[in-house]
Amino acid sequence: MTTFRRVAGKLGALLLTLFLASVLVFFSRFLVPGDPISFLLRGRKPSPEAVAQVTAQYGLDLPPWQQYLNWLAGILHGDFGRSLQFRQDVSVVIGERLPVTLGLVIMAGTMIAVVGLIAGAIAALNRGRVLDRAVLVGLTVLGAIPSFVGSIVLIAVFAVQLGWFPSFGSGEGFWDTVYHLVLPSIALAIVFVVLIGKVTRSSMVDQLGREHVEVATSRGLTRGTIIRRHVFRNAIGPILTVSGLLVAGLLVASSIVEAAFGLAGIGSLLVQSVDRLDFPVVQAIVLLIVSAFVVVNAIIDILEPWIDPRSAAGAGAR
Amino acid sequence: MTLLDISRYTLDLPDGTRLLDGVSLSVAAGETVGLVGESGSGKSLTARSVIGLQPRGATTTGSVRLDGREVLGAPVGDLLTLRRSSAGMVFQDPRAGINPVRTIGDHLTETLRLVERRSAADAEARAIELLRAVRLPRPEDHLRQYPHELSGGMLQRVMIAGALTSSPRLLICDEPTTALDVTTQAEIIAVLGEQRATRGMGMLFITHDLNLAASICGRVYVMNAGRIEEEGDARQVFRDPQAPYTRRLVAATPTIAVAQPAAAGTAADATTDVAADAAPAPHPPVDTAPHVDLSPPVDLMLDVRSLSKTYRMHGKPPVHAVVDATIEIARGGALAVVGESGSGKSTLARMIVGLEAADAGDILVDGAARTGVPRSRAERLAHSRSVQMVFQDPYLSLDPRIPAGRAIEDALRLHSTLSTRDARTRVLDLLEQVGLGERHAPARPRTLSGGQRQRVAIARALAIEPDVLVMDEATSALDVSVQAQVLDLVARIRRERGLTVLFISHDLAVVRRVCEQTVVMRNGEIVERGATAALLEQPQHPYTRLLLDSVPRPDWDLDALAAIDRTEGIPA
Repeated sequence: MTTFRRVAGKLGALLLTLFLASVLVFFSRFLVPGDPISFLLRGRKPSPEAVAQVTAQYGLDLPPWQQYLNWLAGILHGDFGRSLQFRQDVSVVIGERLPVTLGLVIMAGTMIAVVGLIAGAIAALNRGRVLDRAVLVGLTVLGAIPSFVGSIVLIAVFAVQLGWFPSFGSGEGFWDTVYHLVLPSIALAIVFVVLIGKVTRSSMVDQLGREHVEVATSRGLTRGTIIRRHVFRNAIGPILTVSGLLVAGLLVASSIVEAAFGLAGIGSLLVQSVDRLDFPVVQAIVLLIVSAFVVVNAIIDILEPWIDPRSAAGAGAR
Repeated sequence: MTLLDISRYTLDLPDGTRLLDGVSLSVAAGETVGLVGESGSGKSLTARSVIGLQPRGATTTGSVRLDGREVLGAPVGDLLTLRRSSAGMVFQDPRAGINPVRTIGDHLTETLRLVERRSAADAEARAIELLRAVRLPRPEDHLRQYPHELSGGMLQRVMIAGALTSSPRLLICDEPTTALDVTTQAEIIAVLGEQRATRGMGMLFITHDLNLAASICGRVYVMNAGRIEEEGDARQVFRDPQAPYTRRLVAATPTIAVAQPAAAGTAADATTDVAADAAPAPHPPVDTAPHVDLSPPVDLMLDVRSLSKTYRMHGKPPVHAVVDATIEIARGGALAVVGESGSGKSTLARMIVGLEAADAGDILVDGAARTGVPRSRAERLAHSRSVQMVFQDPYLSLDPRIPAGRAIEDALRLHSTLSTRDARTRVLDLLEQVGLGERHAPARPRTLSGGQRQRVAIARALAIEPDVLVMDEATSALDVSVQAQVLDLVARIRRERGLTVLFISHDLAVVRRVCEQTVVMRNGEIVERGATAALLEQPQHPYTRLLLDSVPRPDWDLDALAAIDRTEGIPA
């Protein structure tokens, strides 16, 4: 019962956040310089009648709130409007490019998780030793490499010199796509590994110093069992929190990597659409990124009591 | 038969610091041996060494033999075997010692399942049996609960049950009751005694509390700075300490023994003897509290009338933290508020200091209303001029980045327009008053000892020259010898400056040294009040009597303790 109420509360907050995000995303268009009409008419010198006709066709003569409601109603039906640059439905334009970005983000996310957790755990279990410092320095160096530099280096070495991986495009079919996305995923993952690595390390170091770990040791459990059941298990909380926050950065950074590797994903589409004042596409993509971020974090929030049973009991329990 | 035999055991850290210096001690099967010392004495390190938990990179000489096998330098496999079969350990703080994200059942069955390879059902049956042995009310239900759902006393029983899962021959208890209330301590001691007796285990009992050691141990070893200072029959050492260090320790240990209720006559005699023996000690128990005639209370410095506070948490029954509390302290007087955790004593203190708002009632300090939480800057300054508080943990109440002198100076400057030079002079003056000096002014808290930190905190509170000083468990985190110094300091300041003190404590023995008046709180209500001496000699309320009976003393009757009304003792 209480679980149900808690989850219901979180979902309510999630919907409210999404609503506020949609308001912000929609009305920000009115703050940006540039006018969709002039883009639509491409520098031609239109008659006032033609302007009025195009304005009415796109519903731009309505008051802003009416435009917002129309837009929102459309979205709820899966209609994000029409792209100004492609003269196609936004949902079609995005639908074509979303799989590439999703694949990129999922592969990069997996790499970040695997490498970050392993590196962090190695550092934590060797804290204060040379290996710990080596891992930390390595992570920091990787974290300091901007995605575009990483992309160029990876292309130069693995695509051009060694010729192991393709440097352009997203391929055909599942395995070919995975193959094409290897280098872009690495380029995207590099910067973020340091975050997960460092959080894993500090969270595990914190747990290693806890008395319950000493108690477990005193009971004759093997070191492996203790690390698995008491150190790592207890360290998951902060790692998950940071992972959730990472989603936004990952989606945004994907635009750079997509541009570098010539991938037709929503990241590069976003950049291109901003450039061409294609407001419906920009709004849809931004809303999509915000939604992904909010939903992932809401899921992590809802999982919290299973990660740490104390949190369900509220602030009163330590 | 000797279970544990430590001989000439020395431990050095890689940087050359010697933590243990030629420690020798032994524990036989069925015997309870006390290891007594203050923090940093090496008592916990000695105990941990028995199961191979030395600090990384430490070099050791001598020998530690457990159950006939050498522990020092033993390979990992042998250490695991020793931990799994020969020795079990109960740690100080069960809240920290039991994994908070796993269930009680998991904690208890973990070793049975993973080490002894028992089936889940078999392990669970054994866990239930053990929980019953440590007298937990509903073993089957507790298995599904998480640590935060149990009280400290119940959790410590779980910890004991956990240490017993392997049926160890030696039970090492490291301050197992220090984090617990005094009545809970009595129950835990009873459970430990019972288990030791029925299982014929040897027990190594580590504590800072000489009274406790003398009341439950056969023999004791007294440790200081990594050495054994004295060993012998527990009561003998307590009554007639030989080593200078033990004498100082005994003298500094506060006792409640004005005179115990009739049955405890011998204990009272014993402790007064000790006090007499310890006369030349540097910190004799002082009873220098000025005797203020409290009836009729003419000049009230602190006047708290019918104060109440209820916490209402969403979806939970309301907690009546303080119910209709009325206390009065005359100018220059000292009143103790005694109670266990959850009694509302700290909430009362926090309301008086203005950190919490009262739901009802009035607080008057020197005639001025100080009831609400101050809102504006002017109100806050006025309130803090009236009342200052010294908090429990000097490790937390001082900003680690601010030097001691600055901390005091900041308080001074906030409340006055002293020039820099005058403020500095005043800071040195205050530091001297609390027994510190000029060299401590630039020191950051981490370079100061616990006692020095608490002195800085007191100096900071006194800087403003408050009407009332509230001390919330201000000596609980300190070693007994340091506690004695701080209590002496408070007594001296009261004598010299006529300070009015509200002293919050769980410790009746400490209260006796500081306050002439005492109130006892339980579940938010004041259950008894009166002159401290009278209250200790002839407690009227059954709860006060329970508190007094629970304080360990050499002639403590464990069987009688086991009979203490448990419905009262175990928190719901």
